[in-house]
Amino acid sequence: MDEPRSPFGPDPDLAEEASWVDADPEMLELGAEAVADREAEVLQADGAAALEQRRQRRYLVRALLRSPTFMTGAVIVLFWVFMALFSTYITQSPTAQDAAAALKPPSAAHLFGTDELGRDVLARTMAGARTVLIIAPLSTMLALLWGSMIGLVAGFYRGYTDEVMMRLIDVLLALPIIITSILVLSLLGTGLTIIIITIGALFTPVVSRTVRSAVIGEREREYVMAARLRGERSPFVMAREILPNITQPLIVEATIRLGYAVFTAATLSFLGFGLGPPSPDWGLTISTERIYLQIAPWTVLFAAFALATLVVGVNLITDGLSRVFSK
Amino acid sequence: MLRLIGRRLLLMVPTLILASVLIFALAEVLPGDVGRSILGIYATQEQVDFLNHQLGADRPLVVRWASWAGNFVTGDWGESPVQKIPVRPTVMKALGNSLVLAGFALVIIVPLSILLGVFAGLRRDSLLDRGITISTLSMTVIPEFVSGVVLLYVFAVWLKWLPVTALPPEGAPFYERFYYLILPAIPLMFLELGYIARMARVGTVQVLAMPYIRTAVLKGLPRRRVIFGHVLRNAMVPTVTVIGSQVGWLIGGLAVIETLFVYPGIGKLMVDAALAHDLPMLEASVLMVAIIYMLANLLADIVVALLNPRIRMGG
Repeated sequence: MDEPRSPFGPDPDLAEEASWVDADPEMLELGAEAVADREAEVLQADGAAALEQRRQRRYLVRALLRSPTFMTGAVIVLFWVFMALFSTYITQSPTAQDAAAALKPPSAAHLFGTDELGRDVLARTMAGARTVLIIAPLSTMLALLWGSMIGLVAGFYRGYTDEVMMRLIDVLLALPIIITSILVLSLLGTGLTIIIITIGALFTPVVSRTVRSAVIGEREREYVMAARLRGERSPFVMAREILPNITQPLIVEATIRLGYAVFTAATLSFLGFGLGPPSPDWGLTISTERIYLQIAPWTVLFAAFALATLVVGVNLITDGLSRVFSK
Repeated sequence: MLRLIGRRLLLMVPTLILASVLIFALAEVLPGDVGRSILGIYATQEQVDFLNHQLGADRPLVVRWASWAGNFVTGDWGESPVQKIPVRPTVMKALGNSLVLAGFALVIIVPLSILLGVFAGLRRDSLLDRGITISTLSMTVIPEFVSGVVLLYVFAVWLKWLPVTALPPEGAPFYERFYYLILPAIPLMFLELGYIARMARVGTVQVLAMPYIRTAVLKGLPRRRVIFGHVLRNAMVPTVTVIGSQVGWLIGGLAVIETLFVYPGIGKLMVDAALAHDLPMLEASVLMVAIIYMLANLLADIVVALLNPRIRMGG
């Protein structure tokens, strides 16, 4: 029942290398450095190690900047982030009504036309990114936080703890995510906080599985053993030794979840479980304006295109990241 | 093989029980006062108490869950307090409608996307490969209501090739139904297209690298037989697995598409019941969806086992 990776996610050609964290000699080096770091004063190796680490990071950043997929996605997403933050200073008000100018086609006064209340569609389209860009990243962060904690503990202790935690996690996946969120939101009422927590909780199982399998790949490694022999406590080993060594799969997982979170948040608001009017949210706009599709298609289509670009943008970032990381 | 199926069916029972507890807990515990949420804030406390007693909502939780689950198993699904109609025939009819829609979409999209994926895999890293991969995946990640309204606009409003509604008028012949289902089915196809094509492509690429393919080619088998006899068969395993795991998103997609096209399926039923706080209808339809979801996953596992002798024997 494993959920497949993001469509643009790591190329499953490399599925054999799913343990690429393991196989990658560079990561081995990084692992060795984590140990070296701790004994830096004694070994006087920290200078060299830190230098090496910085070199690694610079190499990754440069590879990302050179990746057309990543850069296209980044530009699209940054555009919407910018619009979410500043669109009100650039465009007209997204909520100001003008009954005299209702359902007017695109013109010089209203580049994208107006909706049934005479509101400027351009302003609403640009401001529509706001809710999705609040909900999706925050719920992704929640899912990452909870998923990492569960995955670290389950993967580190294995045995009974692992078994019980994973079974409990499975129950959350017994229903499709959209269905469970509809159930929860219809009964708890809707509001930004509840939506964020619901999506975060429902994405936690998948994240915890990814983290768990990455942890299992790491726990037998020398640096973990070294830390244990030094007498480090388990929480320290998990948080300070293992976690820094699984950041790459974590980052990829985060961008994958972000794409799904945008998808889910938009879908929920389309179905009527998001914010209510007069929010310019895209899902809500498409759902309320679709009755005008035949006489005033611009009220619907611009929001649809905007949402499509954002989703594709996030997925391009995912694709670019996973390609660079798996090289 | 039979033992594998039997064991998996048995394993479904505890998961289903847990899922039913989850649904029940969400539906009946979280909102607090059931009678109050049905009657609204203007009803008197006596009326609320009376309704709670009538509904049995004043009994202990475990008893209520057991009687609800028991009634579900024996086929007594109660009556919707909102719509005043019996739940079971309504859910079953909606389920039937949804199966027609989803089945129609799957029958077209599965072979088509496998074909595209294999095609891309055979010409790995070519322009065609990149083109197929990028375009199918873009279609998949875009929410289905977005592609839905765009298609609706282009084909129904602008070009007028297809009807705006999803149901034919009363009394139309059966095959007419599918003509009306084309437009709602396409976004559902998009939803599956990217994943299936991707897995088929990956499967093909992996199989092509196997020594036995080289053997088959070197011993002079025609290309066609290599592809259909060896490549396709072995590339199917990851593909079928991903089709099974996509059923969850397909069900979510049904909820969205049925709402968009006002099609009386189980997805729309669920969304409407949730919005109207119609608990018996909501619980029954969600539990039904859970069962379908698990059966679909089981079916995918069985097909994978049939395709892969190692799993078949070892199972």
